[in-house]
Parts: sequence; structure tokens; C-alpha cells
Amino acid sequence: MLRNIIFWITQKRWFLLSILIGSILYFLESPEGLSIEGYRTLIIVIMAIILIIFEPIPLPGVALMMLFLQVLLGIDEPNDVAKSFMSDAVFFIMGSLMLAVSIVSQGLDSRLALGIIRLTGNKTWCIVLGFVSISAFLSSFIGEHTVTAMMMPVGLTLIYNTSKDRAITKNLAPLILFSIAYGSAMGSIGTPSGGGRNVIMMEYWQEFGLANITYLGWMRYSYPMLLLEIPLAVIILWFTFRPEQKVLDSAVRKLKIQVAKKGAMTGQDMITIIVFFLVFLGWVFLSHKIGLGIIALMGVFLYLVLGLIRWSDLNRNTNWGVILLFGAAVSIGIQMKETGAALWLANSVMDALKIISEDISVLRWVISVLLTGTLTNLLSNSATIAVIGPIVLNMGGDPIIMGFSTAIASAFAYLTVVASPTCMIIYSSGLVKQSDYMKAGWKMFIMSIIVLFIMSKIWTIY
Amino acid sequence: MKFLIAVGSEDYSGPTLRVGMEVASAFNASVTVIKVGPKISEHSVSQVKFTQERLEEWDFDSPGVEVLEWAFGFLAENQYISPAVVEKGFPKNTLIERGKNRSEVYLQGTTGSDVSLILRNGDIISELRDEVSSGQFDVTIIGGSQKRRMAHDLIQYLDSSIFVVNQYDHTKPYKLLVAVNDSHNTSKAVKYGVRVSQAFDVNVDLVTVSRTGTFKSGYHRAVNKAERLLKRMKVPYKTHLLKGDPIDIIKKTAGNDHIIVMGTSTKNPLIKYFRGSKPLKIVKTCPCPILIVK
Repeated sequence: MLRNIIFWITQKRWFLLSILIGSILYFLESPEGLSIEGYRTLIIVIMAIILIIFEPIPLPGVALMMLFLQVLLGIDEPNDVAKSFMSDAVFFIMGSLMLAVSIVSQGLDSRLALGIIRLTGNKTWCIVLGFVSISAFLSSFIGEHTVTAMMMPVGLTLIYNTSKDRAITKNLAPLILFSIAYGSAMGSIGTPSGGGRNVIMMEYWQEFGLANITYLGWMRYSYPMLLLEIPLAVIILWFTFRPEQKVLDSAVRKLKIQVAKKGAMTGQDMITIIVFFLVFLGWVFLSHKIGLGIIALMGVFLYLVLGLIRWSDLNRNTNWGVILLFGAAVSIGIQMKETGAALWLANSVMDALKIISEDISVLRWVISVLLTGTLTNLLSNSATIAVIGPIVLNMGGDPIIMGFSTAIASAFAYLTVVASPTCMIIYSSGLVKQSDYMKAGWKMFIMSIIVLFIMSKIWTIY
Repeated sequence: MKFLIAVGSEDYSGPTLRVGMEVASAFNASVTVIKVGPKISEHSVSQVKFTQERLEEWDFDSPGVEVLEWAFGFLAENQYISPAVVEKGFPKNTLIERGKNRSEVYLQGTTGSDVSLILRNGDIISELRDEVSSGQFDVTIIGGSQKRRMAHDLIQYLDSSIFVVNQYDHTKPYKLLVAVNDSHNTSKAVKYGVRVSQAFDVNVDLVTVSRTGTFKSGYHRAVNKAERLLKRMKVPYKTHLLKGDPIDIIKKTAGNDHIIVMGTSTKNPLIKYFRGSKPLKIVKTCPCPILIVK
């Protein structure tokens, strides 16, 4: 009995610690200039960050805690908490997760494989360039984990067709898998539909009355950066994991045969692509009127009506816990704005920066990007933006540049396995080691920050 | 009896499998081989599972199956099992989900009757603890981990006896060191020791240590009982009554050419958690395989 209790305590230590910290803070006085509601909102944020990083309890549990504590701590009324929980951004996250399931289930990966090989030929560096470019391009529209799920079979087939002996493919395997994962992560900044965090930032701009950015308007800011990053990422990955095989001749040939066996493109494949194209057109031309989330839900509706996906498959493969978590994170982000906690935190950071230098324009940018980049490697990137977004937008400077820089920095999830689903998906293949993430990740991280800095200077003349 | 052998990778798990099967055959025990894969963050669990479903359509096995496949091959190659391979065995490697994060694995062409294979994902301590308690295993066999805390936690929280196969070299002749004291776990440890000595056909050193050099009657009774059993089972042995710190003496006597067998500590779990216990300290410091009997 006692042994079981000790085991439970060791497993739940971070949960107990978060409650202890929350309880101690609750009984302390709120800092000067911060409302009692704002202070209590920050207590919830601190507890949630501990719980999300260390996962001592299921993540949907953290989401529920963030919601009921808002009411129990007297921050807001139950109905207002419920309203702040559901928004178009959450609809979008829900819709895009379901769209991903619908698209991936159609088995378009074999078509993709053929396309890549036709495009790249059999030289390894060309294949890596192809993987990074295609992953980046596709994920900019349909989300990074969708693309990774589709590209993984193609990448693994090439690796295993080269050799099943891991010693022979010890560099080739991480090279190809990181091309997919990092390509997808980089691409997710390209359009608002590339990731839930982009939509959350758009929602904050709108909610706080700072800007109204359209789908194409977003691409104007982000796509040049994406195009700049692609060749740099290929160079970094190539020199980090120099492969033994410079040509993948027989592997490519075998892949072509495998894909050919899967038969020609079916009508169902065509309809899948057409529906997604319609969704894309909706995002481009209608999203400013009816919202990205509603359009994503319409796409899912079409897939269901056309019988391309069954509800049971959608239900089984959609991560409802993540949707709950993002809804709760957006809700707490809005409370941070409403209660003045975001402004107070932003002012505190600014005051601290002024001690270092009078001219804080660059420092402010560096702090927001580094904080976002670090947190995104520990938390989920959407949760990072939900929490950091309101603070950054209150730190002064051009809210569009600050917002874009923060949203884009949240894609720099290169350093850890848990940084994003894409990193976890390639890790689950068993072909990359945890240390590989740091090996390539720090170079990608620094390169991305430098490119983002250059872009932020260019954005000032937009 | 039921034995559970935990394997990590091809590079390190050979000795664990070898020792595990030798001991299991001495006990006439059924064997399950388990591989615990990495914990998938909850943020990503649906996406990872979904991707793996796609990979199955491309005839890729789930990660971890290749380790179990290698383990099965290793056991067959070294004649620990004679695999029942039949024409109508499983047409491809098949995973049958049994509960959260747990699958039974049936390899292509086999019937699954020789040795059970289990694949789990998650925190290794929690998963092994769950497997041991749901499968009611008597002995869990693990490799010596670089992570010192892991062996400590497994010994502390697993309900079964634990065999830590630390730095085992199958080409080297080993002896058996059975630690004897007046605790109630000693007699079970001696019984296990007899079986292990028969499995490896080795001599036994019965070691009893007192800090003061005087041995209470309980110690003498335990030693006599152990000697009687060893005589009856015709196992050659030597008895050593030694003075000093038990951990240092056992470590010194064992060197690197003994397999140590000892009973688990009877200390309060809270004290064990904060201050450790003799078995825990010996596992941490001795460069040889150790069986801790519960």
C-alpha cells in the first residue's frame, strides 16, 4: 500500500508541485499594478505550463483545469469562460485536424512518392532538396503533421530499399527523416492554414483591434522567408548528416515498382484533391468574411457527405484532447488580455529591458522571439502562441511585425522530440536518436532566427 | 512460473536474453519477452498512431517489432526455443492491441506458442510495473542500465523478483554468491539460488556478514537451513561468515565473477525511497548480475 502511494507520488510529482506553487501564490498578495483577477490568471498560466511540459496528468485534464479554475478563482463568469473557449481559431484547429485525417486516409502518399521521384531523380542531394521543398510547400497549406504522415512511408521506403542494415543507413536515415520533419515545420509558417498558431495570432490581432490580415496578406509576409529557408535547411541537413550514399539508384527503382503496384489514380483520389482545393479557395477568398475555421469545417462536412471518410475514422484519429487544450489556452490568453495580466507582464519585461538599454526596439524583438522559440520546444506551438501572443502584442512596437515574428518563431520546434507532432512522428520510427535533434536542431534554430531578423527588417518597408 | 524478459536493443540485450532463458529453463518457467518503446507525448499520440497505420499499409512494422523479431531469432539461433513454424502461421508480423499502449506481437510464419512477445510504449517503469502486475510474473529480467535510477525504481516498484543482468559475459565461468541473513526473504532467495546454480552448473558461496563479527542465532539458523537445502540438492557450496560492512563485503567477495542472489530488503518503503537498501546499493555498485528475490 505504502509502496503504491510512493509510486503514485513519484509519478505525479509535477502535478503536486504545480498545485503547491499555485496554492502558495494564491495566498500571496498580487504585485503592484496587477489586478487580483490578472494575478490569478497568471497563477493558472504557471500551473498549466508546468503540467503541459512534464505531462504528469493527461493533457485534456490540464485543459479542463484551466477552464474551471477561471470560474473557481473568480476571474470570470461560467458563461463568459465558455464563450472565450470556443472561437474560429479553435474551429480551425478542430477542422484542420479532421481534414488531415480525411486527406491522409485516402492513400495519396503513393502519388506523392511518384511525384517526388519524377521531380528529383536519384541523386541523394536532389532527393533531400525535393523532400524539404515538397514538405514545406504542402505543409504551408495543410499543416505539418498531415504532410509528415504522408511523406513518412515514402522516406522509409527509400531508406529500407537502400539497406535494412542500420549501420549502412546511419546518416541517410536521419537526413531523409529530418528533411521531412523540418521541411514540414518550416512550411507551416507559409499560410494561416499551415498551423493553428497562425490562426490564433490572427484572432488576437482581430480581438485586440490591432490588424486584419487576409490569407494572401499573411503569405506576402511569410512566403519569402519560407523560400529563403529551404536551401539553407538543405545545406544544414546535408552537412550535419553527410550520407554514405550519394546516389539512391536501386532504392528509387524499387520505390517506383512499389508505387506502380498500387495502381492508377482513382476517382476518389481526384475528389479528395478537388475538395481540398475548394477549401483552399475558400480560405483565400472567403476567410475574411466567414472565418478559416468555418471553411475547414465545411471541408470536413464535404468529405463526410461524399463518403470519403467515415465518422468512426475521424473520431478515432482526431486528437480531441489537443482541441480541448488549445481552446482552453486561447481562453486563458483572452483572460490575460481582459484582466490586464498581459499588459502588466509586457510592461514588466519592457522595464527590465530598459535597464539594459534605452533603445529597446531590437531587444524587444529578440526577447519575444527567443522566448517563443524556447517555449515552443517545450510546449506545443499553438499553446505557446495562445499564452505568449497577448503579452508580445502589448510590448509595443509594430504589432504586425511583433505578431508575425512571434507566430513564425513558434515554428522553430527543432530541438527536442516533444517539440511538435512532426518531431515525434519521425522519432517513433526508431531511426533517429534524441541527440540527432540537437545535432541538427541548433543550427536550424539559429539560421531561422537570423532569417527572421532579416525579414523583420524587410517587413518595415511593406 | 512466469518470467518476463525486458529487451532494449539488439546491441545490448543478448546477455539479458541468454541469462533469462538459462534461468527460466531451470525453473521450467514460461517466458514473455517485452519491448517498451518510447513514450509518445500526448500532443502527438493521435498523429503518431495515425502515421503508423499508414505505414502498415506500406507493409512497415511498428517500431519495436524489429527488436522483438531479433530477440525471437536470437532465442531460436541459440536453441533456447524450437520455434513452431507452420505454413499457416501468421502471414505477416501482426500486432493485436490489448489495452492502452500494449500489443501482443505474432511474428510472420510462427504460431506464437513458443514465447510470448509484448510491445508497449510509455514510461518504462510504469509499463513494466503494469505488465508484471497484470501478467502476475514471478521474475523480471532486465539488462544493466546506464541510468542508475532505473534499476533502483524497478527494484522498488515491481511486484516480482528482479534479475539485473549487469555486465554478463557468457564465455566467463561464474560462481554463485547467495547472501544469507535472518530476514524472511532469505529462505526464498536460497531456493532460487539452488535453481540458478543448477541452471549454470556452478558452485555456491553462502555469504553472511555481520558488522560486529558476532552472529545472532537467527543468522546461524538461516545459514544451517541454507546448507541443508544445498546438501540435499547436491549443490557444492562454501560458507563464509564475514565481518564488516555488508555492502562492501558482498561487493568484494563477488568481484566480477559471481552471480549474486539475495532477498529483497524488508525495510519500510519510505525509508528505502529516501535512504536506499542493501540490494539497491549492491545493484548500483557491483559489476555482476544480481537476482533480488521478493
